[in-house]
Amino acid sequence: MVSPMSKRLVNILESLVITAILLVLVQTFMEDFSVLAGWDTGRRSTILLAGFFFDLFFTIEFLVRLYYAILNRRVLRYLLQQRGWIDFMASVPLLILSSGPWALALVAGETLFLGTGGILNLLKVVKAVRIARILRFMRIIKLFRHLKNTASPMAQRHVATVTAIAVTVLVLSLLIFSGFAESLDLKPLVSAFEDRQQLVAAELSSLASEEADFARSLKLLETTEKTLLIVKLGGQTVFSRHDDGYYHDYFGPGDYGYTEAGEIELFFDLRSFSRESAGQSLLFFALVLLIVVAYLLIYSPVFALTVSDPIHVMRRGLEERDYNLEVKIPDRYRGDDLFELAALYNEKYLPLKDRSKPAEDAPLLDLGSADIDRLLSEEQTS
Amino acid sequence: MNDESTRAKLFVTRLLANPALKELNPLDREEQIIQFLHSNAAKLFPTLASEQFFPGRKWTEILNLLVRILQEETDAVFLPLLEELIGRNLDFTFVSFLQAGRPAASGCEAELKEFLKKLLRKPEARRAFAAPFDAVRHGFVDRYLQAVYELKQYIYFELTKIQRLRMSKEEVKNMVKATLLLRPGIHLLTVGSMQRDRQATPGAVQPLFAEKARGSLRNQLKLLPDNLLSSAMNSNVSFLENKRIEATARLATLFAARALRYRPMAKIDRGASSADKSWFSIARRNHKFYGFDINMLDELYKIAAENGW
Repeated sequence: MVSPMSKRLVNILESLVITAILLVLVQTFMEDFSVLAGWDTGRRSTILLAGFFFDLFFTIEFLVRLYYAILNRRVLRYLLQQRGWIDFMASVPLLILSSGPWALALVAGETLFLGTGGILNLLKVVKAVRIARILRFMRIIKLFRHLKNTASPMAQRHVATVTAIAVTVLVLSLLIFSGFAESLDLKPLVSAFEDRQQLVAAELSSLASEEADFARSLKLLETTEKTLLIVKLGGQTVFSRHDDGYYHDYFGPGDYGYTEAGEIELFFDLRSFSRESAGQSLLFFALVLLIVVAYLLIYSPVFALTVSDPIHVMRRGLEERDYNLEVKIPDRYRGDDLFELAALYNEKYLPLKDRSKPAEDAPLLDLGSADIDRLLSEEQTS
Repeated sequence: MNDESTRAKLFVTRLLANPALKELNPLDREEQIIQFLHSNAAKLFPTLASEQFFPGRKWTEILNLLVRILQEETDAVFLPLLEELIGRNLDFTFVSFLQAGRPAASGCEAELKEFLKKLLRKPEARRAFAAPFDAVRHGFVDRYLQAVYELKQYIYFELTKIQRLRMSKEEVKNMVKATLLLRPGIHLLTVGSMQRDRQATPGAVQPLFAEKARGSLRNQLKLLPDNLLSSAMNSNVSFLENKRIEATARLATLFAARALRYRPMAKIDRGASSADKSWFSIARRNHKFYGFDINMLDELYKIAAENGW
């Protein structure tokens, strides 16, 4: 027996989860949009940190649900029937592989950029697991647990299931494709670009001993290589395209690349690749949203029209004495099994019910013993 | 009012206030409570016979008292409603088209009101009156006859060519409404039955019985025309028993049956046909059982379907 207090607490927590889901969708959009719009690092860092806290929140939510499922010995039911697997996929991997490292990079980022850059390998890890961010879109499915878009639980479950399948297939396809691309060495443009920067660094390193050649090459690179940000020689900055304030304001983790060769260290601008990635991410986000909206607005009414509504009408007709409304049979669905059944209900059952149990036999004032006792006791006390 | 009446009134008032009865007309509410008292006699009697209520009374005495009070309460609400309905919805100018030299419409109206008040003293007439009352009150006659006159098909032909009603559409509507209200007059000849049916069992009213009832009505209603009384009494007869029943009588039969326990505010579920369309569809399939005119049902079904009623 659940106490009213616990029920209230559960309701509050469920409302909190719904709010978090809605907010995280906004956050997901903003995270990519801020990159495309070229927002400064401060605002983007806030959005990224918010993403980290959302991942943390959903991870805790998943662990709590799993804990109670274990306590109640319903782990499989939670993971499979109640879509716990979606809770898992939309939280733990993201926290470990995506927002966790990002947050770490953010915290350490400032010192990294202007410092030695040795720990920048961390960003390579982040880059490697950028694929994991695709899993964020799975959160949209989480909404279905809470969304009451139809009165019929069957319709609700059915629409939620097909939507979950569609979104999961899309997300996993993207994930698998990205994984394949990595394993087949189908390097994205950013990798080719990094390789080129490595060559530049090696070339500069070979010229480091020839001061005049080095200065001439640097001058040439300044005009031809617009993505080159900083060149350091033996730890000393010999070239910087912008001042430190600009770097601080507009370069966050992932916005710049780092490479070294001998005594040469290069920092280069990766923001155009970040923008491309953000644009792609927004496209996927829109795709997932469109799939969900299409199922909700197109498939859900069709399912209601052809399955749950006729069943609801027939159930009421079978259960309630006075309910004698016929099932509406759309011409184009007349051949469906369900509507053939509905035709039998309309043409055979309802007339039979009408003949065998006239409406006037059914008392409306159907009070039970308790009601009568209460009525009489009210009389006695009045 | 003595103590017993006061207590009975209080009890009846509480029963009438039950939300399950809210949508019903006063006569239906009364009928529901009488049913309730009958079916729960065993539970109610021990308490109602105790000191606080009606000590020393037998159940039949208690029941009679409660029913009397209930009828008084119902009449207090229903009779003004009925007067208003007749005054507002019924115009007796049609009587002049039925028989020349008939008296003024106001006389007919007064006669009808007086007759109905007397008729409604009979329990079986009260039970039978709820549906025709609702049929007029909820505008079935106006709604459907309007469409019938636009369609000009079977029903129109029956009214104008077979029954030869040489009067306007509005007057035909009024005649059907008057037929409906006089329909329970069949109970002038029934003897205080406790049978709970509110609609005559199909085929139970034979044409001969209806003819006798019309004679009795004639004795009480001196002003109303014969055709109207005949139409009202024949509306209780199965169409299968007498194919020559007036079109107005057949329409009154259908509207009264349709309005039986009618719930105007009932929500139509998504995926369900509209209320009238469903009712007429079922009635078409059961027309032989109830003695309805299938052709009329077909046309009314079509009208209901086209108008989403």
